[in-house]
Amino acid sequence: MQACSTNSRRCVWLAAFVVLTSGCMSERVESPTADVDAAKQLRVVLASTTAAGGGAAAAASGTGWGTLKGRFVFAGDPGAPKPLNADKDMEVCSKAGMKLLDRSLLVDPSSKGLANVVVFARKTSRVKEATPPQTPVVFDQKQCEFLSPVLAARVGQPVDVKNSDPIGHNTNIAGTAFNQLIPSGQGTVYKPESETGMPTMVTCNIHPWMKAYAVFRKDGYVAVSAADGSFTIPDLPAGEPLELQVWHERATGPNGALGLDKPELKWTPKGRFQIKIEADEVKDVGTLEVPASAIGT
Amino acid sequence: MIKARHNIVLLSATAWLLLVAVGCGPTPSASFRPNMVEATKQRLTVDQERQVATVLLAMFGTPDDPVALPETGLDESKLRLAAGPVRSDIVGRKNGLYREHCAHCHGVTGDALGPTAAFLNPYPRDYRPGVFKFKSTERADKPTHADLVRVLHNGIAGTSMPSFALLPEIQVDALAEYVKYLTIRGETELALMRAFFELDDDAGGKLPETREFLVYETLTPAAEKWRAAADAEIQVPEMPSDIDLVASIAKGKELFYGDKANCVKCHGVTGLGDGQANDYDDWNKAIVEVEKEVKSGAAKAREASTAGMSPDELAEHRAQLAWLEKFHGVLDGDALAPRTIPPRNLRHGIYRGGRRPLDLYYRIHAGINGAPMPAAKGTVPPEDIWHIVNYVRSLPYELDGELGADRPMVARDRF
Repeated sequence: MQACSTNSRRCVWLAAFVVLTSGCMSERVESPTADVDAAKQLRVVLASTTAAGGGAAAAASGTGWGTLKGRFVFAGDPGAPKPLNADKDMEVCSKAGMKLLDRSLLVDPSSKGLANVVVFARKTSRVKEATPPQTPVVFDQKQCEFLSPVLAARVGQPVDVKNSDPIGHNTNIAGTAFNQLIPSGQGTVYKPESETGMPTMVTCNIHPWMKAYAVFRKDGYVAVSAADGSFTIPDLPAGEPLELQVWHERATGPNGALGLDKPELKWTPKGRFQIKIEADEVKDVGTLEVPASAIGT
Repeated sequence: MIKARHNIVLLSATAWLLLVAVGCGPTPSASFRPNMVEATKQRLTVDQERQVATVLLAMFGTPDDPVALPETGLDESKLRLAAGPVRSDIVGRKNGLYREHCAHCHGVTGDALGPTAAFLNPYPRDYRPGVFKFKSTERADKPTHADLVRVLHNGIAGTSMPSFALLPEIQVDALAEYVKYLTIRGETELALMRAFFELDDDAGGKLPETREFLVYETLTPAAEKWRAAADAEIQVPEMPSDIDLVASIAKGKELFYGDKANCVKCHGVTGLGDGQANDYDDWNKAIVEVEKEVKSGAAKAREASTAGMSPDELAEHRAQLAWLEKFHGVLDGDALAPRTIPPRNLRHGIYRGGRRPLDLYYRIHAGINGAPMPAAKGTVPPEDIWHIVNYVRSLPYELDGELGADRPMVARDRF
């Protein structure tokens, strides 16, 4: 104000500066505008009533069935797992007085095997078993922990959601119709209705630290790596190219895609690799080393 | 003294004149804002963002000139009544209803980023994920048209959503249709943005612009659910008319605190909503998750040393930094600060989804879509749900003594 009262011209410039530099600027990140001409052309395509062409499903070009196997190992120091922020129902939600631990990066100390890596076939031309198996997959919870960190099931296959705790839980599978109360000692059967794409999160809202993932596939060609990092997908269509998608909860790729440097398998940053299995072959892709840089926090 | 005052007058006059002269330019016509959070999360390139905007323009038009393909099942004449700037036509019929009544909170795009949104608690609904809470259908189903009309009619008690009961029925109907339009548009946009990840590597990062992909694979799944909602209403067995209310309330109380229904875990031993209270609803959780991703990514990028990097790695590192910076800006401008969702305080007698016993039955039976509230169906039989409804309805009036035949409730007991 001192500047204003002594020199009115400076004052005017100051006011002009303030007005010109403030106000009308938008603070939002710029977004691209639509291409109006291209949209007009597209509208013609959308309005056409011609019958739909052939579906996107891959055409079968081989015969027979083969098995894919491999093993994920973690090449780095996983560090000590952090305790979870469990603060309710502590008489049940702790393992003999020990705090529950974060399971997002489970590495077997002796074999370095990386558990809970999901591998599934992206598109398949044919399926060996036409109907989903009716033996239920058990998805249980105990001591305020989902016993399976990753639930893999085929669309239409019953999933027996159980609760072996003396307290009640609810099981909420994101992106699906399922969020149900599971009273103590009881269970309910859920049949997945559609594919998940990449695995979707499963939580208990009563105990928010409880976390797992679910992946449902129409063809059932999905595997979750075991404690030693190994996985097996049997009965894949043989004699034709297959593309597989790989996911890990903490992978740094888009949507949890696990990208590896494996040019011989044409492994992409989107976490996909390609193979071809001959009929009755057990294709072993060997040990797949996951560098520490592929895993985020 | 006089000179100083003269200066202040001069200063104000100059500032005012400058503001008028410079202004903010002509008001641009209203446009739909892309879902920048999802676009950035999916790491779309500028070209990919533009492709989505172009496809959406072709499929849905603009806020002033909406288009609805027959597959959406939407009535374009109703949309035109609700869309566009506020105006009256030649016979005096009001147009531009959405912008008159809704856009200031729900935003022109239906993204709940209208100018007043940040000041409201709870935040207004973001229509784009296609999730609605208060409805007569099963958890994952869409609301029926009547459900949307009911919300517009009654407003949502305990929130900033007012009642539009004074509007003529035809206008309420048009607004409900327009909400569906914005929702189907938003869901289509999400599907398109997510489809880039599912593309084969030889697709060149471009979505196929065929009717097959755009209509049958992308639009129809979203639109079909709206059509199916009419037949998806929950079948509610009537509460027995000769029910012993005192006994039913006692049974409901037992269930409320018991392990089977487990209401107590979130709504609290007092029923004040003070149980498990640090969870988020689906809309806020989505923002919490990306915030976490951005934060951990930034921490990792800071730690990384560029010294030993090959040119490829260095380029990747720079791209990652640029992405993080963009995401930071997007979260600032296209998302509100996430808030936890407190379980409802059941002592108030304020029920957001409606206060009819039937409304409470729907909430308990199907849970609340988008919120942590789980469904009781399947594990809690219908008659028990009615008992819980009766207990919950008694909670605002529950006194230290038990209500009963010997102690009928009188009006002053309520306060």
